[in-house]
Amino acid sequence: MSTQFAAKRLSKELSKISSSLPPGIELVSADNFEEWLLDIRVLDNNPLYQNQTYRLKFRFGSSYPIEPPEVVFVKLPDRPIPMHPHIYSNGIICLDLLGQQGWSPVQNVESVCMSLQSMLTGNSKNERPPGDEEFVRGNRLRPKDIEFYYHDNDV
Amino acid sequence: MEAFSGDAFNVPDSTDWLGTPLACLMQVEQAFRCHVCKDFYSSPMITSCNHTFCSICIRRCLSVDGKCPLCRASDQESKLRGNWALREAVDAFVQSRDVVLQFAKTPIENATPRSPKRKATDLDEEREEQPENKRLRMTTRSSKAKAVEATAAIMREEVDVAESEETADYEPELDDGLVACPICWSRMKPWQVDRHLDTSCPGSPQPQNASSSTAKTRGGSSFGAARTPFQNPPTPTKPPERLPALAYSMLKDTALRKKMAELGLSTSGSRQMLEKRHQEWVTIWNANCDSARPKKRSELLHDLEVWERTMGTRAPTMSRSANLGAQIKDKDFDGAAWAAKHDMSFKDLIAKARNSKNKVHRKGDEVAKSKEGSSAPESGQSDGDGAGNASPALALPKATVVDLTAVPPSSQPEPADSPAQTGQELTQTRHLENGPPYLLQVENIANHSLSGEAERTRS
Repeated sequence: MSTQFAAKRLSKELSKISSSLPPGIELVSADNFEEWLLDIRVLDNNPLYQNQTYRLKFRFGSSYPIEPPEVVFVKLPDRPIPMHPHIYSNGIICLDLLGQQGWSPVQNVESVCMSLQSMLTGNSKNERPPGDEEFVRGNRLRPKDIEFYYHDNDV
Repeated sequence: MEAFSGDAFNVPDSTDWLGTPLACLMQVEQAFRCHVCKDFYSSPMITSCNHTFCSICIRRCLSVDGKCPLCRASDQESKLRGNWALREAVDAFVQSRDVVLQFAKTPIENATPRSPKRKATDLDEEREEQPENKRLRMTTRSSKAKAVEATAAIMREEVDVAESEETADYEPELDDGLVACPICWSRMKPWQVDRHLDTSCPGSPQPQNASSSTAKTRGGSSFGAARTPFQNPPTPTKPPERLPALAYSMLKDTALRKKMAELGLSTSGSRQMLEKRHQEWVTIWNANCDSARPKKRSELLHDLEVWERTMGTRAPTMSRSANLGAQIKDKDFDGAAWAAKHDMSFKDLIAKARNSKNKVHRKGDEVAKSKEGSSAPESGQSDGDGAGNASPALALPKATVVDLTAVPPSSQPEPADSPAQTGQELTQTRHLENGPPYLLQVENIANHSLSGEAERTRS
């Protein structure tokens, strides 16, 4: 459920997104104001991500945009989870922009997608976060309830 | 703002200008939109860091984290100042927008230059096709819009600039639901025209005064007739005063309730709900104080009610536990988060329940033994609920009952498919009348708490 405030804001974003998106970002579905799917690609020649497309799932709470949306990568047969030291293999992303602290209401779906694009572009490590397996096995929390510790300032 | 609340998927947006000869207006429009709500600024307020947002948007943001959404500088609500020049600019733009956009989208053959008089009637017709059109005054259009429009005119119809500039003072289009008398130009309701022509029409064009808001009137006067002008607000006997923020942690329940009762707000619901409701009221009230066209108090109360309804946390007028129950039954209830948060207390309850169950077992055995010895087996029964001697396990002390029966899946109050729940939630909660939520299935408890701790150290 979203408030009028959230619905209004999302409808504006949607009308903008459906008419123009930056290269490498595509809207897959946005049937309601709760969950949207987008595809992103990395545009430069980073060998880690070349020729791959990744599926992002956005979930919006009733306080969007005051509160951040929940953003995760989704695994599908043709949509892998990108390899990155801040992306868990279950698609959960550790990025301060998506946390309560780093989020700002001026951010939007498009800017989040672009941030993730650039986060991938700038990465050269072919690895998962430390403790990925254990986390993926044990985690039952929603991303917004996980207390990430943001330590890496180079992303 | 109110003009854009219609169809959610047909939203006016700055991209509307793309594909028209006035594509450059997209930037102009973007500059008039708030970064938080993406709508046109409504009561724009300027922060200490010189950023501007809608009053309601920045107040909401500041009440959450006290920082400017654009630059993250700390700020306070009390330091906000109205940006009146921008307010006028935005209002003027919003009012000319529909007409300019219409003009930009009109195919060439319709855009031939017309005499002022003809134009007025044509515009009247146009207006009927497009009821959401707002009133416009040409003189207040931004000079850029005017210039651009003139350029577009050149591009489309190759009229000479001089003429287009001359015709720039043609009658503004009014959208007051009235039509102009074809003879004297007075404005009236459509059904009045015939009678007017028969009886009271003076027979020649009359100079129109501001209050009749004719097609000839220009500038602030006609604009002020229906919509409140900026220059002279609608006779507020005294301007509403802003409400101070409350330090909720310093207030006792009763004090807060009293404050809210004084404000005429509902005092039902949990403490948390009271705080949220009060906070929202302060936000919308203060934002309304910034508005050039303040709403009535009753409208604000209605807004508050809508807010409360859509937040899904509408406080029932019952007890606190019942309120909690309502939250849990709500379809938005985040079962996973709840389970994780209350993991420890669940475990405690389970441990207690096991303990007391064992005790009851032992007691039951003793009772059974003593009953065997006594001659009147029914007299030892204090409960009288029939659960009695047959199954001692059911006669648990009331305070620590753990209901181990499974819930039907339909009552499972968790959102459809959250990523974190792919591993299937085994812990479910359900509210029973007059008590805390009980744990229904207790497997995997250990896993839950482990994962919680693990996550804190990750990343």
